[in-house]
Amino acid sequence: MNDSQSGNFDRRGLLKAGAAAGLAGLVATPKPTWAVSETPIKIGMVDPITSTFAPLGHSEIKGAKFAEAEINKAGGIMSRPLQLLVEDGAGNPGTSLDKAARLVSRDKIDFLMGTVNSASSLALSQFADKHNLLFIATGGHVDSLTGTNCRWNTFRTCSTTWMLTSGDFETLFKKFGKSWYFITTDYAFGHAEQADYTTQLKKAGGTVAGGALAPVGTTDFSSYLIDVKAKKPKVLCLLLVGDDQVNCMKQIAQFGIDKEIAVGGALFELEQARALPEAARYGWWTMEWYWNQPNTPHVAAFVKAYAAQYNGEYPSARSWFGYASTYAIKLAVERAQSTDTMKVVKAMEGLVLPPEVALQPNAPAYRAADHQLLLSMFPGHVIQTGKYPNLFDVSAIVPGAQLALPPAAAGCKMTYPA
Amino acid sequence: MSTDLSSPRTASTKSPGKFTMSRRGLGNLILAAVLLAVPFWLPLVGGYTDLASRVLIYALAAMGLNLLLGYTGGLSFGHAAYFGLGAYGVGLMLKYETHSTLLALLAGTLLGGLAAALLGPIVVRRRGIYFSMITIAIGQMFYFIAVRWNSLTGGEDGLTGFSRQPIHLPGVTLAMGSVDFYYFVLLCFGICATLLWIILNAPLGHTFVAIRENHKRLTFLGIKTRRYIAISFAISGIVAAMAGGLDALLDNFTSPNLLNYTLSGDFLIIAVLGGMRNFYGPLVGAVVFIMMRDYVSSITDNWMSVIGLVFVVSVIFFPMGILGFFNRKSSS
Repeated sequence: MNDSQSGNFDRRGLLKAGAAAGLAGLVATPKPTWAVSETPIKIGMVDPITSTFAPLGHSEIKGAKFAEAEINKAGGIMSRPLQLLVEDGAGNPGTSLDKAARLVSRDKIDFLMGTVNSASSLALSQFADKHNLLFIATGGHVDSLTGTNCRWNTFRTCSTTWMLTSGDFETLFKKFGKSWYFITTDYAFGHAEQADYTTQLKKAGGTVAGGALAPVGTTDFSSYLIDVKAKKPKVLCLLLVGDDQVNCMKQIAQFGIDKEIAVGGALFELEQARALPEAARYGWWTMEWYWNQPNTPHVAAFVKAYAAQYNGEYPSARSWFGYASTYAIKLAVERAQSTDTMKVVKAMEGLVLPPEVALQPNAPAYRAADHQLLLSMFPGHVIQTGKYPNLFDVSAIVPGAQLALPPAAAGCKMTYPA
Repeated sequence: MSTDLSSPRTASTKSPGKFTMSRRGLGNLILAAVLLAVPFWLPLVGGYTDLASRVLIYALAAMGLNLLLGYTGGLSFGHAAYFGLGAYGVGLMLKYETHSTLLALLAGTLLGGLAAALLGPIVVRRRGIYFSMITIAIGQMFYFIAVRWNSLTGGEDGLTGFSRQPIHLPGVTLAMGSVDFYYFVLLCFGICATLLWIILNAPLGHTFVAIRENHKRLTFLGIKTRRYIAISFAISGIVAAMAGGLDALLDNFTSPNLLNYTLSGDFLIIAVLGGMRNFYGPLVGAVVFIMMRDYVSSITDNWMSVIGLVFVVSVIFFPMGILGFFNRKSSS
């Protein structure tokens, strides 16, 4: 009897011990080992790895990969691993579409995100709609993406052109004055920015002292700058891109204009500031996210971990776009308890990014009516003598809800497939 | 051997003509079978149908260009202009005017072809490098028009808001999914290739080749060479425009990048890489170019360097392109 009892006990004990060990193993294992049957949730990311947009694309990809690693370390999405598949769109809509088609038909992705420039974003938004995919535009700013061309399947993490311009308009207007002069790149994005600034300027009672449209690739800005000196505006607003901006800023410094007139504009990126020579580091701009936020929780830890991961490179606004977009998909899937496109879309509408993802005050949310993330804007000025990464001084963090146009005014009429 | 073995003229008139013809016929049959079966075997080797459509479209554009480059001897750096005009023609028609895919494609082809036909006589007034310069200038002109004319073309952001529509034939409706569309592209490719083949074997095509071989002599013979180069220019523009129209239908999107000289350069690379004296050279070139763009870019960021390297190597070691190299080998 004793024997049999002890035998019983032994067997039960063994079972119990085994179960306990199994449980303990499940709980204690810091890095989950995925069962073979667990199919990963796949996010396809099309972003420029080559071309002029490459530095920005690299930052977005790094941000997304950082999020992927964090999510998988913490147990994945609904206990399924997350897999991020990155393809080079080269900033070219045609190439981006090719790569998206490849991700869909060969890799069978569940969600699509990416792009730095507006043209690629618009093209992928339409592509994803055709393929019944959720698409998060990480970095194309054109107003129409969540305005007149808004789609049920498309969300946007970066700001609209309107938000960019209104982000620092108040600062520039209040601080420096009513009469403005624009030097604008002669293409769609520049025109849109100037139109948005002009609307706000007129509404606030300011005047346009003058304006010049500079063709893409202009190297000599002296004729415009002589006109600027003659017109004596209070604010010189630069809406230029890439190397044009660098050239113009160097020449403004040579003319000494930056000592007399406030120079500013809309978008400014950490990648850009890093590439500028010291002579061209000045002016008032808007960042869409900045790493130095001493009063916001979780930011310092994120920046530290990110810099450690990427050899001292600091996260830029672009890194944050990739990071936040990846997390947004995770959060929406968990809210929907499904990877079905329509269910996830519905779950993402109104989704508020929690503080450890938002990494900024004001709890940004994806607005349900037009799918625009109402992220904060970080107007401020460039620190001329700063050393990387201390290149920008944020003067205020403006809530996105205060800046964005209401969906009706932006022209979005959301329709869903039947 | 000044006229290459593979040129259609020699292929159809030399004494072993019957043998070469039948061999060529067999080659065409095999090619047709391979192309027809693409949707079945391509996924097995890790490809996808849209990629095959892209290959055919680029091959078609490069074949059009090759009529001018390889057979008439005119180096055009501006064929993206006609490609892009075809694309915008299709996009604008589908967006504003019609829901007929066929009508839109016809309109796009006519738009690009008309531009080539009208501009051809201006371009052919110069030869050699000046010819190339004028083609670049005209191409860039269309590029900047597309970038600046925001209200019509969508400017830098490209033209969106149209999509290819199902084609209704008597008794059957094609939904124009990936596979349907591939066969549609293949049909267009087949028609254009046949027409080009017929032209090249007609006296007109022989005149083109003669202009390439000895322009001065033809002038002395009293042949109005400019007129023939202009005709070649127009035909190649029409073919490029049709390819452009198909490209817009493939993406349901078009942007000024399609008009840019960099794309013209891509077409040239495709034609030269595959073999510009060879009828199917551009097809081989397009397969190599698109596959490299697709696969190498997943492996390395520097995929452009790989393409550049392959191009340089092929120009140095096989100046007649990939097909030219194999033809020379088999004939020696």
